[in-house]
Amino acid sequence: MAAPWQLAEVPGLEQALTLKPEMAAKLLRNAKRPLIVVGGNVLGAKGEDVDVVKFVHRLAELTGSPVVVSPGCFRVFRERIGDVPLTCMGLEDLVNRMRDENWQGLRGEGNHDLVVFLGGIYFFQSQLLSTLKHFASHLKTLSLDRFYQPNATFSFQTATEDRWKKDLEKILEELEAKTS
Amino acid sequence: MKKSLHLKVKELKTGLGVFRDLELVLGKTITEPWEEPQGPTPFPSAVDLRDWDLKLLSRYRPFYLPYCDLCCLCTMGKCDLTRGKKGACGLNLAAQQSRIVLLACCMGAATHASHARHLVEHLSKIYGRDHPIQVGTGEVEVEAPILRLVCGIKPKTLGDLDEALDYVESQITHLLSATHTGQEGDALDFESKVFHAGMVDQVAMEVADIAQVSAYPYPKADPEAPLANIGFGSVDTSKPVILVVGHNVPPAAYIMDYLSENSLQGSVEVAGICCTAHDLTRYNSKAKIIGPISWQLRFIRSGIPDVAVVDEQCIRTDLLSEAEKAKVPFIASTEKQCAGLPNRTGDPVDEIVKDLVEGKTPGALILDPAKVGEVAVRTAIEVAPKRRKFGALPGQDELVELAKKCTECEECRRACPNDLPIPEAVKAAASGVLTGLADLCAACIGCARCEDACPQEIPIHSGIVKASEEKLREEAYKVRVGRGAIQDVEIRKVGGPLVLGEIPGVIALVGCANYPGGGREVAEMAEEFLKRRFIVVASGCAAMSIGMYKNEDGQSLYEAYPGVFDAGGLVNVGSCVANSHIAGAAIKIASIFARRNLRGNYEEIADYIHNRVGAAGIAWGAMSQKAASIASGFWRLGIPVVVGPHGSKYRRMLLGRKEVESNWYVYDARTGEKVYVGPVPEHLFFTAETKEEALVMLVKLCMRANDTAKGRAIKLAHYVDLHKRYYGVMPDDLHLLVRKETDIPITLRDEVMEILKAEGWRERETPDPTLLERLAKPKEAR
Repeated sequence: MAAPWQLAEVPGLEQALTLKPEMAAKLLRNAKRPLIVVGGNVLGAKGEDVDVVKFVHRLAELTGSPVVVSPGCFRVFRERIGDVPLTCMGLEDLVNRMRDENWQGLRGEGNHDLVVFLGGIYFFQSQLLSTLKHFASHLKTLSLDRFYQPNATFSFQTATEDRWKKDLEKILEELEAKTS
Repeated sequence: MKKSLHLKVKELKTGLGVFRDLELVLGKTITEPWEEPQGPTPFPSAVDLRDWDLKLLSRYRPFYLPYCDLCCLCTMGKCDLTRGKKGACGLNLAAQQSRIVLLACCMGAATHASHARHLVEHLSKIYGRDHPIQVGTGEVEVEAPILRLVCGIKPKTLGDLDEALDYVESQITHLLSATHTGQEGDALDFESKVFHAGMVDQVAMEVADIAQVSAYPYPKADPEAPLANIGFGSVDTSKPVILVVGHNVPPAAYIMDYLSENSLQGSVEVAGICCTAHDLTRYNSKAKIIGPISWQLRFIRSGIPDVAVVDEQCIRTDLLSEAEKAKVPFIASTEKQCAGLPNRTGDPVDEIVKDLVEGKTPGALILDPAKVGEVAVRTAIEVAPKRRKFGALPGQDELVELAKKCTECEECRRACPNDLPIPEAVKAAASGVLTGLADLCAACIGCARCEDACPQEIPIHSGIVKASEEKLREEAYKVRVGRGAIQDVEIRKVGGPLVLGEIPGVIALVGCANYPGGGREVAEMAEEFLKRRFIVVASGCAAMSIGMYKNEDGQSLYEAYPGVFDAGGLVNVGSCVANSHIAGAAIKIASIFARRNLRGNYEEIADYIHNRVGAAGIAWGAMSQKAASIASGFWRLGIPVVVGPHGSKYRRMLLGRKEVESNWYVYDARTGEKVYVGPVPEHLFFTAETKEEALVMLVKLCMRANDTAKGRAIKLAHYVDLHKRYYGVMPDDLHLLVRKETDIPITLRDEVMEILKAEGWRERETPDPTLLERLAKPKEAR
């Protein structure tokens, strides 16, 4: 079992399955109503060569997924990638809706079935993933941060910045290969 | 005189007739009748206000963020409660979370109750049980709004406070018992009990604070309370320095007394950390404040203090060993924290001082606060020339050498609550560059988990402090001394504008210093609200953080803004127990401004506050169980509270769903009809991830169903302005918040009308709002 990034944040017996980028891409391809959720720490996240804003943009284009951005970072995303559908919403407000099976999702087409998280404050994101893990069996969560998130359904393992960058690129490559 | 019998009968049927609210007290003199009729719920039990709680909880549903999937509270466990599994006792994960919240709130309430009990006993012994309750000089007639509201009593003397404390203690026992295995099992019922814990906690806090305000020479509801010095740099290190830490002021007060009785004022510095510091500056504004709770290790390790005196609450439990490292004699002074020290209470002062000065013992437990005063001063004076400010920090060269041992394993960062980039800073230090370490200081909460995690045993926290030493020693600011209660005249003045919504709101910045990115954000939030002419109140560590910041003119916000409870005023009420005055102010608006009966009339007053008083709290660095119980007292009054991201670890929020129309109906008191009022206030307990999110949410949370058109327009103007500034777009919920065209700020009319049209918005009525059916009657029924 992988260790949480903040080592004491051990939730319990069931922890996220770690996965490779190919598998992440497969999950994204198979999702009917995916959603991308960007947390408020995204601009402060370490990863010198990784432009997360750009990654989110491409991921949204390739999956057709709407994007929710934490209010603290929304402005920057809107200025840089305003051409994909962006929603400004507090993460707790969002998760409060996602946990409701009858919520119709951002597009009113039904609740999302796969929710990608990245860029949140580690421990806060962990708490929100815990809510979904226990009280939202109707959806799966996928953490694409550099740091393992045990409360997600699927998560990257904690990786070096270089490894993480390559993994994110790999996801995009896989998705591009299948769409082209 | 201590009462010996207290009998209360709600209804007594006899041959003579029916007696209601019969109260018989033997051994207690009731000197003045209170004309206000007793309300329906004096001294409410844990279920008397359950219906009210369930009303709030149906609007603001519990949102659980389990912090641990297991339960390990009994020997049938551990039990795995993951995804709907029940424990051996039958409890599920939602109920387990609410049970832990209740436990936390009982701990918090018990801490304040114990503090209050100690203060009342101590002050009664010194000043007499007949010492009058006086919280303001002629300007405060409603001396104890919470006691009047919850208990239905009007205390006149210190001795009268016993009755309220007896009640609090019994309620905490009942509530705590409900967390035992095989008791409460329903999540919502746990939540109702959480509210009850919060309410009795407010009683305890009010008792503690009005007792000390009445007995000690504290500012008494004084908007012009003096300014005190705060920060490392405010201490004259050429003098012996006594550090006091915690939150129970008598030992520290005796230190000040001993200094003045022996003409030593001015030759010894007394400086405090955490709430004792607040209360000590209320006692004597010459005392200094070092900073919030997170300054403990920094200050001890700096070697500046010559004696450390701890009382109770929020003290680092390893402070004795930290003091030993810096050769600082240590005095524990309350039964709450004996620190494993020998009890020297009965020993002669000369002997204790000698042992401490000669280092024969690292510390002493002295349970007589007057004796603590003398021992602390004499020890400090004698030991200071010997210690010569010996610190426990490495020298700069030594620090660089230590940093070279770093293997970049990242264990320090992984242990850091704020995930700070420590490895990079240590790496830079190894090459002689200490600025990286220095930069960490502002966002460091001073826990030193990084040090315990380091396999190379690099004293990382000490390194951070050493690298920032120069900057820390320049910290010198002003904070207004805690003033205590809000005056009745102030309430009369702002009551109208607040209830009508013309003052955009009351924002309370409260709580601990577990900030995600340092205390500066708290001061920045305060400044934003002050500039917008909200009423800003503060207490505890947050009140200190607000002071440790200078605006563009080089002034602290306490210098730049007046201490009045009015638009654009910055009110430091005082220490944690002074939070009772913030709740008290809201209650007094209902009583003094709106002339509602307070006495034992909780539900009606809470309903009034929830629907009319635009107030919200922000505990950006809430950490403790006390902070949990303080927040829950505000929830029961219907006042929303926002926490920073660490607050999500309290594991339960109370969230509204603004788009679910059925949640936002009230009764119109004029007609008895149910009327949609929109999502105001939207949440009761909410985590904001960033400062920006907190600011925008707080402005919105000040909206109330009763706002006039003018008031709602002012609130909406602030909301839209902040939303656009921070998020770059218009809010998406204006159609839920605008009731009539006249609600729209004039400058935004065209823009907003266009949005409203697109949403299919229609004008709607503004009722006389209440959630209580019994208060809503059609005209013909009156």
